[in-house]
This record gives sequence, structure tokens and C-alpha cells, in this order.
Amino acid sequence: MNKNFPDGSGVRLLKLMCACAVILMCASLGAARNVPGVPVLISDDVSTRALAVNSATWRPGRLPTPTQVVWPAGSDMRVTLFVTNLDLMPGEGANAFRVDAQTESGRRYYLSVESLNALPNYDWIYAVTLRLNPDVGDAGDVLVRLNWRGMASNRVRLAVGHAGGGLSDDPGAIPTPAPTVRPKVGEPIQGDLNRVAPPFAGDNVRFLEQATFGTTFNSELHLRRIGIQRWLEEQTSPKFDTNSNPRYSSLPYPSFTIMPTNIPTSCTGACLRDNYTMYKLQNWMFQEAMYGEDQQLRRRVSWALSQILVVSGRDTQQLGYMLPYVKILDRNAFGNFRDLLYELTLNPAMGNYLDMMRSTNANPNENYGREILQLFSVGLNLLKKDGTPKLDQNGNRIPTYDQNTINNFTKVFTGWQLCNAGCPASQPGLLNYIDPMKVDPSLHDTSQKTLLNYSGAIPTIPAGLSPDEDLNLALDNIFYHPNVPPFISRALIQQLVTSNPTPAYVQRVATVFENNGQGVRGDLRAVVVAILLDPEARGDIKTDPDYGKLREPLLYVTSILRAFDPRSGTRTTLSDGVINGITQGLDQDVFNPPTVFSYYPPDFEVPNSAIVGPEYAILTTGTALKRPNFANQMIFAGATGGIPANANNNIPNGTSITMDRMQALAAADPTGGQLVDMLNRLMMHGSMSASMRSSIMQAVQAVAPANTLKRAQTAVYLVATSSQYEVQR
Amino acid sequence: MSHSRRDFLRRSGCAALSMAALATNMRHFGLVDAMAQQNADAPPDYRALVCIFLNGGNDGNNTVVPNHTAGYAQYSAARAAQGLAIPQASLLPITPPSIGLNFGLHPNLTELKTLWDQQKLAIVTNAGPLVQPLTRAQYQAGMPRPMQLFSHSDQSNQHRTAISATAATTGWGGRMADRTGALNPGAAIAMVTSVNGTSLFTAGNTTTPLVVAPAPTPLNQVFALNGFVTGNGEDNARRASMDLIRMMDADRTLVRAASDLTQQAVSVSTQLSSDPPLTVTFPNTTLGNQLKQVAKLMKFHTQLNMSRQIFYVQSAAMFDTHTSQLSRQAPLMVELSQAMKAFYDETVAQGIASQVTTFSLSDFSRTLNPTGTGSGAGSDHAWGNHVFVMGGAVRGGDFYGTPGPNGTVFPTLVGGGPDDTDTRGRFIPTTSVEMFAATLASWYGVATADIPLVFPYINNFPTANLGFMM
Repeated sequence: MNKNFPDGSGVRLLKLMCACAVILMCASLGAARNVPGVPVLISDDVSTRALAVNSATWRPGRLPTPTQVVWPAGSDMRVTLFVTNLDLMPGEGANAFRVDAQTESGRRYYLSVESLNALPNYDWIYAVTLRLNPDVGDAGDVLVRLNWRGMASNRVRLAVGHAGGGLSDDPGAIPTPAPTVRPKVGEPIQGDLNRVAPPFAGDNVRFLEQATFGTTFNSELHLRRIGIQRWLEEQTSPKFDTNSNPRYSSLPYPSFTIMPTNIPTSCTGACLRDNYTMYKLQNWMFQEAMYGEDQQLRRRVSWALSQILVVSGRDTQQLGYMLPYVKILDRNAFGNFRDLLYELTLNPAMGNYLDMMRSTNANPNENYGREILQLFSVGLNLLKKDGTPKLDQNGNRIPTYDQNTINNFTKVFTGWQLCNAGCPASQPGLLNYIDPMKVDPSLHDTSQKTLLNYSGAIPTIPAGLSPDEDLNLALDNIFYHPNVPPFISRALIQQLVTSNPTPAYVQRVATVFENNGQGVRGDLRAVVVAILLDPEARGDIKTDPDYGKLREPLLYVTSILRAFDPRSGTRTTLSDGVINGITQGLDQDVFNPPTVFSYYPPDFEVPNSAIVGPEYAILTTGTALKRPNFANQMIFAGATGGIPANANNNIPNGTSITMDRMQALAAADPTGGQLVDMLNRLMMHGSMSASMRSSIMQAVQAVAPANTLKRAQTAVYLVATSSQYEVQR
Repeated sequence: MSHSRRDFLRRSGCAALSMAALATNMRHFGLVDAMAQQNADAPPDYRALVCIFLNGGNDGNNTVVPNHTAGYAQYSAARAAQGLAIPQASLLPITPPSIGLNFGLHPNLTELKTLWDQQKLAIVTNAGPLVQPLTRAQYQAGMPRPMQLFSHSDQSNQHRTAISATAATTGWGGRMADRTGALNPGAAIAMVTSVNGTSLFTAGNTTTPLVVAPAPTPLNQVFALNGFVTGNGEDNARRASMDLIRMMDADRTLVRAASDLTQQAVSVSTQLSSDPPLTVTFPNTTLGNQLKQVAKLMKFHTQLNMSRQIFYVQSAAMFDTHTSQLSRQAPLMVELSQAMKAFYDETVAQGIASQVTTFSLSDFSRTLNPTGTGSGAGSDHAWGNHVFVMGGAVRGGDFYGTPGPNGTVFPTLVGGGPDDTDTRGRFIPTTSVEMFAATLASWYGVATADIPLVFPYINNFPTANLGFMM
């Protein structure tokens, strides 16, 4: 647009647009919206001491009289607290809640939630029964908080061991006695400290953080115009190319030639790079992330699936070998998980990566049989529908299968090989990684197979069936295992929304995995929609201290780029997408994960905490400063951009971002307030704390007002390098 | 039973102290003295452990091979027909005195053979995760065994945690550091350092490891924060704000975790302000570059006030040789051997060879019986494996462990044989990870009373000291 206004009126127009955007934003902030409540824990009438009773002796029916109770130290006895301002969905119960207690030392302990029941005569008040955590010890007063759908309650005091001591009340905390008459809808409840008033508009931006590769100015405008529901329809509806063929990417897939496995001596330089490395695939991926607006959600889901059902380019010799795998993920991202399993099982790159193409009746190879169970479908331990492990009578986890099961699945997967002759893509002298693998029945183990056993399972495949019958029966045996819905749902939630979903969230999504409402199991489109529309994903600014996920390197990088109009180094054309060098340094070499476990394990525990954060496995002191260094490189770049074009380094165009919009805001407001507020909205969906805002403004004000570029750079750098931004909440 | 095991261990330990070893030590004394003058103020009790993790499951069966007639015949019978056997003539011959039979190292372990001959290298045989001692009959009767046997993630973590009955969240490197902080007064950096990202081995209850990038990144550039010009007021203000923001919102668990890691990196950057030169040239390989960085950090141990250090390095995930094993494992053996030797030589040059002990771990060994044939032959996931231990304080040149059904510490290489779980040669370890680890921990300085705290299952096993450390 600037090009049309060489006299500078484009800049004025830009300023006007920014101002309009701010006004629109304010308008939507003021719009009435039905926000779910924030839970309020009930205290006595005069202090923040919890209304709490011994669950063993309390009889439900009426509210207890507040009396101070000292709970025994080191005990796991049951205690009932009372909570209000909930708006439960059918079936929503104890596993939707997480409760923690903080001692004077600052350490937080989790208290397991055993049940939740509305009081018969006060159905707006719920009795929540907890088990005390014996590790708390003789702590004195602890502050107890209840988290629901990512929203934290007020904190109330509970005396453990002895009364008194403990942390001071939270700022602004007040007594929250039980409301004895039913509150009117929309009426704020006393003590609802965390409510964002008026209703929260940043949810749109947070949605884009969960569903795309980062918020752009235009994508936020577009979403605001059409709303989340229609946006989801737009993104998940079938797309077609100019020949009316289904289209699963925005930009064309990289072109390739299948090459001999022995690299010809004449193939050096660009030939080697383009055919025998993942260079073009990685560049395409970054370009899709930056520019592929009509496939953002599909790309994001496909990328997530690539980290769950893994093939690594490291073990896949050619771009042309790897691409069919990526296309299967793309094609099935909104398709059915059963189809995805079937197509991936017969995909040659997978066959090579996990050795199925070399597994025969005489020489079985267990690799695929093991990993399809452990990583792609059912996982190691039996799960409840909410994703938590089933336990035996001794409290131990129960393995889903044993070595014997793997031996039997291994037999199923024998005999499949590359179709090097007679298939559409077969070429003399070349390996066919394009067509699905084809079976040689003489190499297939036709004996009986004993597979997973569970209620409703067909656990045995009789001897003598055809290899394809074996395969389909075995994949059905996996697909219908009750572990699959929670296992895959939880993995996708972790990829898109939050590392520590409540079991209730997993259960809601797993329910959709089991049945999309039309009797179909494994509908990934329905699963993704359920993940993104869940109340634990949507709603106000999340205040649960454990909510969110660390942006993995790829998302960290693309989110910063997308926020500031990425183009080529000198901004004359599009970026070439040669950006993998950055993410590789952050331990995420795109499409080249180090192992079949991909880049990080889903159960990685965040240091010094009791929660998981998979992406923290690759955030270390060794990579932590590479993030701010990337931000520095892009934000404080010169005229050739943060990643300048350099043909000798295989960077034809380079990549840059622009501070134009931000400079306009810096110019408009010498305090820096508008600038920081825009960044808060665009990058942090309005979740920036007041202290962070004021600190950034102070740094901005240290730069001369006329130097709007450095003012903008300073503010963008400080947001982009903050942990508050690195964590998507 | 346990008495005879201890006696055996004592005997094998004594055997390692041969005259040849003494002579080798004597030869090194001159060098050590010369280096000691350069490091005159070196803490006298510096000790370091270096864990080398061979990612993917190194096939122990082709790493240490029987080289006596009966033993090689069994090995060959299991592997030769499918093309997975190493020719006997190419094995590098070694003779562990405690067994008195000939064995051979993989032909590409030339440098490790030299260290073995110099009695700087010992091998702990058929070791692996166990919950309690386990025989084939007990295994087949369903007695307690490690959870999720033969799975990469679980077995590699059991090596890192030395806990096999449950999914542990701390590693034995981290737990050792938890218990030995008092030995490291005034330490300027974390006791535990990983040169390969986060590893469960390095995670303690109170210990957070330092993670550094491998060479060739110079040590003083590992923690560089770019873009701030010294003396520039605007940059100073930006930096002040950045440092302040890192302290904010600490009540959000994930925000705080990211801030803590960043803060740790920023703090260390002031400690590592130069890049020390080394004496030895390291191979430019994954392991070579990681061990090179370890050697550089060790060179700073005095100025960083480190009396105890634990390091973790890890190979690329190349050891999972389901196919084409002969051609794929061969270069990995070269890489391992050359990197370990370079590292050992550098510790000699730094005068700390007998204060540094290096050992290898892997996910598991691999099935004795191959999968596939010819040049494509490989092997599947198995269990008990052979572990290298290297250093001047190691009673090198011998095998260590617990004798199995055949009366030696080396398993019987027969599928369906007395050491096998089933029919494919997945050998049940006779020595547990914690027995091996506790031996190193005692040498490192973990108090005897603390050993069961670091290794909660150690009392299920006959000894906490296999005798391979001086």
C-alpha cells in the first residue's frame, strides 16, 4: 500500500488505520459478552479463613457455621471447602479442578480433588472435597486456591498443624462469605478479584496464538470481523486449486526430482542441497507459516501431528522421499485418525524410518510394531478417558501391552516393501517413496496374531488372512483401544493450548474423538475444533498459575515475524523462508527431529516445579539466550534485514521485519503508552501486567522522542524477549 | 551368596593393580608434576565424573566379543549366518585377568584398546536396569522387573535415573549433586553441566544443571547476550528493564521457569569471560566437540572454585541400529574411541587424569539374534549391556560386575540360553545400574550414609561397590 503513496500519505493512512484499530478494539472491549465466572472460594464472614469442614463428619444439606479448625499436619484426611460462581457443563466434576496450597516458604503443594457436589438447598454453592497433602507438614496457615478452566479463584486460609503464620493475604483480598441468595446472572460476586472487567477482548488474539503461527495485524482484524466459529469453518472447509483438485497447502509444495540413492558425482551445490537435504521443505514450511493465511490451522495441526507421528528427515535421504509423509499429515489433519494411521503405516518414509519396509516373516523387525503402540496411538500405560493413568490395587500403573504383544504386531507388519515396479510412480533404477508400500505375500507372516485385548476388542487375527486384512484388523485393534482418544487428544492439546490440561479438558476432547456427534470416531477436525472452543482454551485472561505452554522455537520465531510484516531482507519481495538456521540453533531443526520422540518428550517436567512443560526440554541455559539474540537480530537490523540475502549462504532473499506501524504509534504518543498497549494487544493478548508495562515505558522514554525507530525497537525487543511472551498463556 | 560375590569383586579389583599399571602410573607422574606446577593452586581434592550417553542403544554384543574358541563359536553361531558377526581376526584382543579368557574389542576401538592396555579403562559387563537381582526362571515367572522393558525412552531414562521400578523425575547425576554441595563451597557455577541439552541424568531435587553449547562455540560466547553497547544510556535503560521484567510475574509457573533459566544463563555469562586453549586436538565430531567443551570447563575449575563437577555428554541418536548395523556402528565406534582418548589425554595434560572418571551409558544393548540379513542386518532392542569406565583412578584392564549363571561376569551368548529373557538374546543384567553408579558415587564423595538416598533401591543388591575405582 505504501507504494501507491510515494508522497508519504501512505504513512498518514497507516496512522489513521492504527488509530481506527485502537478505537475498534475499545468498542469490542465494551461489548457485552457472557463470560464464565471465576470460582470464588468461600471464607468466613470476617476474614479470608476458609469455610472448611471435616468431610468424614459433615453432612451435606446445609452450609456449616464458620469455625476455625486446625487440620493435622502430615495428614491426607479429607477436607470439604465451598466454592461458588461456577457455571458447570453437564458432566463437569472433580477432575475439572486443580487445587493448590502455598506455604509461608512459597512452595506450592497440590491437593487432590475427590468430589464436587452442589448443596441441595443452595445449588449455586458447591462442596468440594479435597485430600490434604501430607508433605505440607506443620505449616501453619496455607493459602488455598482452586483453578477451573484456567481461572484461579481467590485464595483462602487453611490452618495446617497450627493456626496463624503463613503468607499474607493476596493484595485486595476480602472476606467472601457464602451468598445466601442465588446471585443474578452477570452480577459480580464479592471477592471475584481476577475478573477482567469489562469482558475480555484479547481472547481473539489468544485464539490466533493457539490456532496459527502467530497473530498478524490483518488476521486479528479478520477474526474480529467474522468471529471464531466462522474462522474455523473458513480454515477447515475444503480448498481447491485452479484445476479443482483438493489443496492442502497455501503455497505450492516444493518441487523435487527423485534422485538415485548413490549421489551422482555431478550433483553438487544446489543439486545436492535441493534434492538430498530438507532445505526446500524447511523454507516452504517457514513461508507457509508466514504467508499461508488460508491454511494456518491445517498447517499448525499438521506440524503438531509431525511431532506425534514422527518421521525425521535425518534418516530420510531425499526431499522427494520426505514430502509424501508431510502431504499425508496435511491431507488428514482434518480427516480421520484411522486413515492417518493407515496411510502413515504404508508411507515409505515411515517404512524406512521405523524399518517396516525391511521386516519379513523370516526376519521380523520390531521397530514399527513397538513405536506405533508406544508413541502413535495407545501409549505405555492404560488410561482413563480423562488421560490420567489407571492404577492397579497397589497404586501402580498398568502397562498397555508387553513384549509378546509387540512380537505379534511385528508379525502383522511383515512383508511390506517399496513398490519399485508396477506402481504409478515406479521408475527404473529409482526407489519409489511416492506410492504407498506394497506387500509381497511370500514375505508376510500369516500365522495367528494375538493383539491388544480390551472390552469390545477383536484381540486375535486368525492365521491365513491376507496381509492387507491383517493390517486393517490390527489398525482397528489399535484404533478402537480406549487409550487412543485421551492419548491423542492430550498430545494435541499440549501442542496447541496448554501443557497441563485438566483431566476434564482431556476428557471433553476425548469424548469428541470417540464420537464427533455423528457417530464417527477419530474425526480430527472435530477434535481440533473441540480443543480450540473448549472453555479451558477460551475466556478471560487465564489466571491459573500453571496455565499455558512455552512457545516452541518454530512458533517463537514465526510469531515474532508475523507480528511485524515479514518480507525479504530489503523488503522488495517475500521472505525466502531460509530461517531454519535460527530454530536449529534453538534445538528445533525443522522436519529433522533427533529421534522418533521428536524434539521433546510430552511428560518433561519443568525444573523446580511439579508440572510438565515439554518445550522446556530444549529451553536450557544453552539455548535461552539465543532467543533474545534472534529478537535482537531481527528488531535492530540494518537496511538489509535481520537475515540478509546471501547467495553464497543459500539465502536468496533474506528476511526482515518492519517497525513502521510501531513507529507511528511511538510518534503519536511521547509517553510510549500507545506503543506498549499495541504490543500488549498484538503479542500478549492483553495479558501484560501493569508493572511490566511501566518498565517498558520507562525504557522507551530513555530514548529521545524523535527517535521513533529506536523507541519502537526498544519496546518490541522488551516484549519479544520477555518470558511473559515466550510463554503462550 | 553375596559373600562369594564380594570376594570375587575384591579379587578382580586386586588383579587390576598389576605391576604394569604401577609402571604406567609411574611414567605419568613426571607429566603430572609438570602440570601441577602450572595449576599450583588447584584444589587438591578436585573430582569430576563425565557421563557419555550413547543415544539409541549401542549393541554391546559387537562392542565386546568373546575371543576364545567356545565363546566366539556361540557368538558366531548366533550372528554369522545373517551377516552380523565381526570376523574374529579383526577383534582387538584383550584378556581380563579376572576371567582369564580372551575377549576382543570392536576393531574400531583402537584408542580404547590402548587405554585398556594402560589399565586406564575397565569394562562393567552385562549391566542394566534392575529392580532386584533376577534370573531367567524368575523373569519368566513374572518377578519384578523394570517398567516398560525394551522401550527407548524408559530404558534410557532408567540408566539416567538409576531407578527402574517407577518413572523417576530426577537423575543420579543431579541427586549426587544434591548430596555433595558441601564439597563445593563457593562454586561459581552449577555443579552439574550438560553439553547436550537437558537430560534427566542432570536433574536433581534441588540441582538445576548448567547447559552449555558444545565446541566449536568458544566458551566465552556460549552465554553472550547481543545488542547492548556498553556505556550507551538507551541500551542501559533497555537492559535494566529487561532484567527487571525477568523478575516479574513469578507467580506464573511457566513464566518463572523460563525467567530462571534465562537468569542462570545471564549470570554465568559473567563467569565465563574467556576461552581457554587446550593441549590436545579433539576430533571434530559430536562427542569430540562436547568433550572438548567439558575439558575447557575443567580447565577453569580452579578459578570457578569447583571441587566437584559432573558432566553429561550425549552422542547423536545413531546407535539404534535396527538395520545395516555393521556399516552404521563402525564409524560410531571410531567417534567414541577417538573422543574418549583425546579427552583422557587432555586430562593428563591438565594434570587431573586421576581426578576425572568418564563412563559410557546407553539405552540398552541389542538382541544377539539379528534382524535382516547381509549388509542390511541389524538388531532389535535388548537389555544388559557393557559399560566403559575410563580414568586414572580406574582399576583398568579388567571386567567387573556380578557373575551370572556361567560363573563369570560375561553372559552366555546363546539365544534362549541361561541369561536370555526369551529366545532372541536379550540378556538379563547381572549388575544393576545403581551398583555401577554407586561405585562411582562413593569415589566422587557421596557419603556412605547418603548412598541409599541417592540410589533408593541399592539395598536390593548385594553390593554398592563393584571395586573398579581405586
